[in-house]
Amino acid sequence: MAVCVAVIAKENYPLYIRSIPTENELKFHYMVHTSLDVVDEKISAMGKALVDQRELYLGLLYPTEDYKVYGYVTNSKVKFVMVVDSSNTALRDNEIRSMFRKLHNSYTDVMCNPFYNPGDRIQSRR
Amino acid sequence: MSVPDYMQCAEDHQTLLVVVQPVGIVSEENFFRIYKRISSVSQISVRDSQRALYIRYRHHYPPENSEWGDFQTHRKVVGLITITDCFSAKDWPQIFEKFHVQKEIYGSTLYDSRLFVFGLQGEIAEQPRTDVAFYPSYEDCATVEKRIEDFVESLFIVLESKRLDRATDKSGDKIPLLCVPFEKKDFVGLDTDRRSKWEGSLQWWRGKGAVHWVSDFLKLSGTDFAALEGLCSASVIYHYPGGTGGKAGARRFPGSALPAEAANRHRPGALTTNGINADTSTEIGRAKNCLSPEDIIEKYKEAISYYSKYKNAGVIELEACVKAVRVLAIQKRSMEASEFLQNAVYINLRQLSEEEKIQRYSILSELYELIGFHRKSAFFKRVAAMQCVAPSISEPGWRACYKLLLETLPGYSLSLDPQDFNKGTHRGWAAVQMRLLHELVYASRRMGNPALSVRHLSFLLQTMLDFLSDQEKKDVTQSLENYTSKCPGTMELLTLPDGLTLPPVPFTKLPIVRRVKLLDLPASLRPQKMKSSLGPSVSAKSPFIYSPIIAHSRGEERSKKIDFQWVQGDVCEVQLMVYNPMPFELRVENMGLLTSGVEFESLPAALSLPAESGLYPVTLVGVPQTTGTITVSGYHTTVFGVFSDCLLDSLPGIKTSGSTVEVIPALPRLQISTSLPRSAHSLQPSSGDEISTNVSVQLYNGETQQLVVRLENIGMEPLEKLEVTSKILTTKEKLYGDFLSWKLEDTLAQFPLQPGKVATFTISIKVKLDFSCQENLLQDLSDDGISVSGFPLCSPFRQVVRPRVESKPVNAAEGGRPGEPCHVKTLEAVLNFKYSGGPGHVEGYYRNLALGLHVEVEPSVFFTRVSTLPATSTRQCHLLLDVFNATEHELSVGARSDEELILHAGECQRMAIQVDKFNFESFPESPADKGQFANSKHLEEERQEARGLEINSKLDIHWTIISFSQTRGASVEGLLNQLVLEHLQLAPLLWDVLVDGQPCDCQAAACRVGDPVRLEVRLTNRSPRSVGPFALSVVPFQDHQNGVHSYDLRHAVSFVGSGTFYLDKVQPSGQAACLGALLFLYTGDFFLHIRFHEDGPSKELPPSWFCLPSVHVRALEAQA
Repeated sequence: MAVCVAVIAKENYPLYIRSIPTENELKFHYMVHTSLDVVDEKISAMGKALVDQRELYLGLLYPTEDYKVYGYVTNSKVKFVMVVDSSNTALRDNEIRSMFRKLHNSYTDVMCNPFYNPGDRIQSRR
Repeated sequence: MSVPDYMQCAEDHQTLLVVVQPVGIVSEENFFRIYKRISSVSQISVRDSQRALYIRYRHHYPPENSEWGDFQTHRKVVGLITITDCFSAKDWPQIFEKFHVQKEIYGSTLYDSRLFVFGLQGEIAEQPRTDVAFYPSYEDCATVEKRIEDFVESLFIVLESKRLDRATDKSGDKIPLLCVPFEKKDFVGLDTDRRSKWEGSLQWWRGKGAVHWVSDFLKLSGTDFAALEGLCSASVIYHYPGGTGGKAGARRFPGSALPAEAANRHRPGALTTNGINADTSTEIGRAKNCLSPEDIIEKYKEAISYYSKYKNAGVIELEACVKAVRVLAIQKRSMEASEFLQNAVYINLRQLSEEEKIQRYSILSELYELIGFHRKSAFFKRVAAMQCVAPSISEPGWRACYKLLLETLPGYSLSLDPQDFNKGTHRGWAAVQMRLLHELVYASRRMGNPALSVRHLSFLLQTMLDFLSDQEKKDVTQSLENYTSKCPGTMELLTLPDGLTLPPVPFTKLPIVRRVKLLDLPASLRPQKMKSSLGPSVSAKSPFIYSPIIAHSRGEERSKKIDFQWVQGDVCEVQLMVYNPMPFELRVENMGLLTSGVEFESLPAALSLPAESGLYPVTLVGVPQTTGTITVSGYHTTVFGVFSDCLLDSLPGIKTSGSTVEVIPALPRLQISTSLPRSAHSLQPSSGDEISTNVSVQLYNGETQQLVVRLENIGMEPLEKLEVTSKILTTKEKLYGDFLSWKLEDTLAQFPLQPGKVATFTISIKVKLDFSCQENLLQDLSDDGISVSGFPLCSPFRQVVRPRVESKPVNAAEGGRPGEPCHVKTLEAVLNFKYSGGPGHVEGYYRNLALGLHVEVEPSVFFTRVSTLPATSTRQCHLLLDVFNATEHELSVGARSDEELILHAGECQRMAIQVDKFNFESFPESPADKGQFANSKHLEEERQEARGLEINSKLDIHWTIISFSQTRGASVEGLLNQLVLEHLQLAPLLWDVLVDGQPCDCQAAACRVGDPVRLEVRLTNRSPRSVGPFALSVVPFQDHQNGVHSYDLRHAVSFVGSGTFYLDKVQPSGQAACLGALLFLYTGDFFLHIRFHEDGPSKELPPSWFCLPSVHVRALEAQA
């Protein structure tokens, strides 16, 4: 289970960010914010040649002492960042990938909502 | 353990470390002056060698740092320069002693040292010494650089000699093994034997660029970690002659030959272009042995992984990481660099002091910046900033903290200019930005700069408003108010000591302004331009009636300019639609307008907006003091103690309908009050004019009232001109006579009206509506069966008195009839007072004050029916009017001087008025003159109206409510129909009957029995056509006064001659006559009925034209 999930707009501002230990949310804000450096770097490193069959999953962005930060970028440059507990060894690349896929599906659902204004904060009932 | 030097880069490996330190008391200023001069000597070409020698100077270097000097010679302090003040020879030995102590500190590694003494003169200074230099003062020390060069050279000689020693020494075994510092304590049992042999001079050699030599060494020492790093450094120096440390790069290669060489070096293995260069083999060898850029990183990784095995090698590891990152930054391999940095973050050194922590975080931030990780860089900078004020620090460095925090701003994509946030919705990482702003506020407050914290807090509130929770909004505003109570927020640019300027933060969102609308002056004060007769402005613009191009450009130009004017000296208004986004009541003080172009006295307002109000209109006012074109550029407010100047141009999502208006010169102001009560009833807006005052009055139909208007000049300019016009609003009611009439001359005599003066003006209101009634009332009296054509049947003054009791039920049954008192008609009119004066008048402007007049007309009397009866004379007739009293009062009705008729309320009576017939043709037919009345119906109406007026003036019917004893007029104009008119009209054929030469009309003509009576019928043709011929027969008859007419009078009357008269054709305005004679045989009253023979021509003419007087002849007894 991820401890923090974030959806970040193309212009690098958060559309949605939520962490499980809610008491220190700002810490995750910083963590996700700084991870964008790596995301940007990875996207630019991938280059334009592979746009078509580009892998959306960016893999591990960086590890910290307690957490691992994974990234995923959609074709529309919306970024998903997930922070998982590094002690949780059950989560391997495949699990992370499937979590991102689920997240991507949910995001697609949100975008399909005719009442959602692209670019606005995503509100979640839960 | 040593302290890490974060500034290190790979090039530093080729340098010699020289420590420069003061001894005794040396002022910082002086020391750094000398230090600067010393450090300028950073590269020296030693004689006998083509190669340069690089020197690194440090003024602070803990001796422990030399611990690893055996492995990395650039860590070893090889030279010491001390600087000291000495003013008397007495102090000299003491100072010299100190110098020695200082030397002791670095003693183990030191090759040479120098002492620079400033201020000492005399014999001691005369002594020539190699290790001491004397200068009289800090200004007078021209030879410092030379001395340093000598000093460096001496260091070189020492090193060179050591190298030569080793080079000649074939047995490496004799050299003492090198140990890493911690190995002295705990031997790990690695192959120290092999590892450390060559280290000492390796660095030195590498410094000399002998890469091939290094590679040789590599074969010897294998995987030795320190050597790995050394190799990396050598390769880096080789590959990146520009330097990796960034700022120092230029300093290192001042030599002219180097750039060309560097260019070659970028292509490893390429032959040098300097063909004669004897050292080509060396060049090739270098390229061969040097690591490729990828390998450098590999080796760095390897080296670091070795270092990391030893806890005590933390510093070395950290430094290696830093160096590697610098190299990677140049290679633009950010991802790998970030991995190195990530590793560096986790290297645990011993307990660091706070200062070291700050340094470490700052350097991390710098390195992240270097590899383009701005966010990460900002993060560490912020951590460093927080470290500056950590609670464990006794003296928190708020200033440093603030400075560091400011540096993080770009990393969080935050600028301190609120203008940047005006473009659309805020798209940033609000949570972290807000946190940073809060920290800035706090730091600036602790720094003791309240103006700064107010500015930051205002910025936070302004730009992050959408992201603040309700509670946060409250907290932020609360603290903002606290700050501003000591230091109010201004619109000035704040400049920080380091040159950064903080632009002002206007609160454009507190409140949010949605719409700005410049308001026209109220209608009564609105200036209007007098229409010039020539109208040059229209024709000058374009010769075309319509041109899309011109219209377009003009439209754009006009889009900002509003087509009304403001007047100098008058209060002008601008309406703003605002709303309060705050969850609490917002108090906005000192809200006023910002204008340009015209001197404008703004009258600020204070307002209080309820929590999260909807759009709320606010009107800002001001008085233009001069004339010209005024532009409303914005507004200013004071909210929470912060002054803001909000410019409309920079407001997002604002709607304006233009902001430029012309201010015209001052005009007087007129205030009017009237004798009539003001009315709440306002005229219909369709009237077009906006009416400032409304007065109302209730009048009975036919009543006249005087309206006294009091004109007061309440402005500052004299009132010079006044024009009064009236406009009666379209009403269905037909109005007779002048509704409003006035005489302006008396009022104008009082002009010009100075400010504060009063003039009066009288208007008479005369209401005369239709006195006729609908048809249903006509039936009331129709039982009389009065015929319009006929003979005088009965007495002309006949009264049909209907008792009130009888009429009441009829009224009740037919509700809503005009006879009821509830049926009130209204008349509305607008009186326009156009006035002007002062400078505005000169410019051709005037003002228009409209007075609305609302008159309720109550019915007074009705003429329910009108008819005519021929009078005895053909020149006269009786007008019969059924008069109905619709008031609730008893009233009397009369015409001319005739007796009055008393009518009770609701009573209807008939009155007859004997009138002379009218000769309408005698007065000019005005409508006929006007050709434009093509419509004949219209023309007819006009004519009828004129006739009605004529008749009315003759009749002069008036009524009086007895209890009020005031006479009012009534009018019959409306009820005269064509038929009645015709009867009232004098026929165009005038028939006169003369009996014995006497015109006989109503009186009986007397004659004697037996005498022939001459009868003459005379016709005057006034019609525009010729008439006739006519044949007339005279029929005598006797009226028995009982309805019986006896025509059989053959025995009583005999004709002398023919009984039939003939009249020839009569030309227009011609006259004809025919004569005959009668002989009465008996006495008696005889009537003669003159009849027309019904032949052709007479049929074409209306019957009323043939209205001959009946002749009454009284035959008397013949005189004896």
